[in-house]
Amino acid sequence: MGTILTLAAKDLRRRAAAPGPVLLNLAIPLAIAGMLALAFGGGTGGGADPPPLKLVLVMLDEGPLSEFLSGASQNSQTAGRLEVLRAKDRQEGLARLREEEAAAMALFPEGFTRDLIEGRQAVFELVKNPSQSFMPLVAEQGAEVLSLYLTVGRRLLGDDAARLQGMLEGEGWSDTAGLALALASLYGRIQSADGMLFPPLIETGEPAGDPGEARGGFDFMSWMYPGMLMMGLLFLGAGQMRDLLMERQAGTLRRQLCAPVAAWQVVASKVLSAALVVGAAHVLLMGAGSAFFGVRWGSALPLALVSALIVAAVTGFCALLFALVRTERQGDAVSGIVIMVMSLMGGTFIPPQALPEAMRGMAYVTMNHWGHDALRELASGKGWAAVAAHAAALAAMAAAFILAGTLLLRRRHVRGAL
Amino acid sequence: MAGLDSSDRGDMTNARDAAPALQVSEVRYAYGKTKAVDGVSFDVRRGEIFGLLGPNGAGKTTTIALIGGLLSPASGSVLLFGRDVASGGSARARLGVVPQDVALYEELTGRENVRFFGRLYGLSGKPLDRATDEALGQVGLSDRARDRAGALSGGLKRRLNLAAALVHSPDLLLLDEPTVGIDPQARLRILDVVKAQASAGRAVLYTSHYLEEAEQICDRLAIVDHGRVLAVGTVAELRRLAGEGPVVQVRGEIEPPQAQELQQRVPGVHLLGSADGVHSFAAADAAACAALVRELFQGAARVEDLRVQEPTLQSLFLKLTGRELRD
Repeated sequence: MGTILTLAAKDLRRRAAAPGPVLLNLAIPLAIAGMLALAFGGGTGGGADPPPLKLVLVMLDEGPLSEFLSGASQNSQTAGRLEVLRAKDRQEGLARLREEEAAAMALFPEGFTRDLIEGRQAVFELVKNPSQSFMPLVAEQGAEVLSLYLTVGRRLLGDDAARLQGMLEGEGWSDTAGLALALASLYGRIQSADGMLFPPLIETGEPAGDPGEARGGFDFMSWMYPGMLMMGLLFLGAGQMRDLLMERQAGTLRRQLCAPVAAWQVVASKVLSAALVVGAAHVLLMGAGSAFFGVRWGSALPLALVSALIVAAVTGFCALLFALVRTERQGDAVSGIVIMVMSLMGGTFIPPQALPEAMRGMAYVTMNHWGHDALRELASGKGWAAVAAHAAALAAMAAAFILAGTLLLRRRHVRGAL
Repeated sequence: MAGLDSSDRGDMTNARDAAPALQVSEVRYAYGKTKAVDGVSFDVRRGEIFGLLGPNGAGKTTTIALIGGLLSPASGSVLLFGRDVASGGSARARLGVVPQDVALYEELTGRENVRFFGRLYGLSGKPLDRATDEALGQVGLSDRARDRAGALSGGLKRRLNLAAALVHSPDLLLLDEPTVGIDPQARLRILDVVKAQASAGRAVLYTSHYLEEAEQICDRLAIVDHGRVLAVGTVAELRRLAGEGPVVQVRGEIEPPQAQELQQRVPGVHLLGSADGVHSFAAADAAACAALVRELFQGAARVEDLRVQEPTLQSLFLKLTGRELRD
């Protein structure tokens, strides 16, 4: 054991003396995760607030409904979601769109309110900014919702619509009896619809309980980051096992074997040092995930077990990978391809369910799937039961890979070191 | 294989411990169909520098690998201090190996490299510190011990390569062409260290394809080619094997049949070999040499270059193989 520790300590000292490659392997998953966080929003508790929708409003209609819509955009609830920029006519509105000031332009033509109240087809225009991708779609959805609400509201008003319009445009506000009559009529209509509308079958709302615990919303980074972590560990593990072939090339392997050192001790030490580096990287990447992306890793004990199994499986897989190649250059090329394919198939970037049906089953033969899926389960607040199958799969993979990897490495690269 | 009577060996050799540190007996090894070592036998005694002299590809490095336990012989045996090298690590613990290529960790300092190899041989604590200082001091690297190995010059790396093999005070030192590609000053330093090791009673097996170097430091030599030992003996003994007369090398427009004809026509002249347009003749004495030269210039052959050499290891190698050592 002393010899194995001496050999492994030598490798760790070499990593500490020249940490560049290890740091690079750590930085890559962090950089990718960072870019994804910037693109899709950070990852704390159900996602960050989206930016407000910037809308150019061209209000050519002077009816009360238009005033109501203009005023609604100014209240405190919508202020954070909607930023309205006024334009006096269509040309000015389009110019503001061209200047990238807004995601869309809504134009309410003259007579919009009158047409609506009098039961004619009322048309308003929405022009989406073609140079933007996401927010114009939000504006379109908003316009559809507005159309629906106005249509339903108009139908609820029924014959009272004309009376209400007269009151709103003229001096009708002082006719309290008329107003009360109209409101009573409206109330009756709403009451008659009550049975259909209430209680709603589906409700939305904030989950009960401690907001820090088991968040109900989808946390993008808690889903994405474990995949990045697994991929980063695989690349790092490959770099560590590559070292055996480098030592063979440099002649230091032959020199070790001239000493009273057995081939199996050399292989065992290399696997041990690789596992230690991968383990340390795993801890660092988890810490970075928490610090930079707000990822919560869940219960400590299941996490420790899953992490240890991930480290063992990654190390064993990389040992096997480099046992099967002839040269370090071949190993670099093959490992890069294999790890990327495994990451794609295993669901690092997209859920396996999104893959073609024929490919979905492939996820289960990749270590990535079992590793990051276990971490995702734990990050979502689940415990032992949720990761038992993952742990079993990882343990089986770790045992098989380490056994096959060390035996093959010993036979192909250490005993044949000349 | 040419050999000599042991009674011819010098007094100093006789005084040394007769028990061999290394016994290589009829060892054979092949890479596929290529015979790398083909029935090699020799022994190395304590306090002796034994040289394996031969061109690149002669089988020297494979022989070292067989002795170091990196390869297992197809047949024959390698005994280190009476124990079969294949029996395990304990025999190898008395061995120090300086590989042909510098085999060090460039990220680590010189001191860390030496300490690491010391640990592999079971040293630790203060004995390891002391042995590391001694090894670095022996090769003159005490003041560069904190520099990274990768930052050292080629000559200094060679010296560090040697220090890493000396740290555990091995009883048998295997040096595989340790002076390849370094400046004369560094070479002298390494040769001094090797001689000091032998003076301290250690056995040294030294491979080289530099004749002068082998002549300078080796007590005994084996000339090897194509995996076979062609001759073994002290430098003086081997020179005698080359013959008393000079060796004549001729370059020119001489066809091999003409060279054969010369051999038959001039008494006391023997054609050693022909390669790359150079024909080598061994002359029995000065008169035979003069007759050969006369015949060459009087004949139809056009001579471009002619050299007459006293018998040397080079001429012995030529005599034994028909080609020069640098081939």
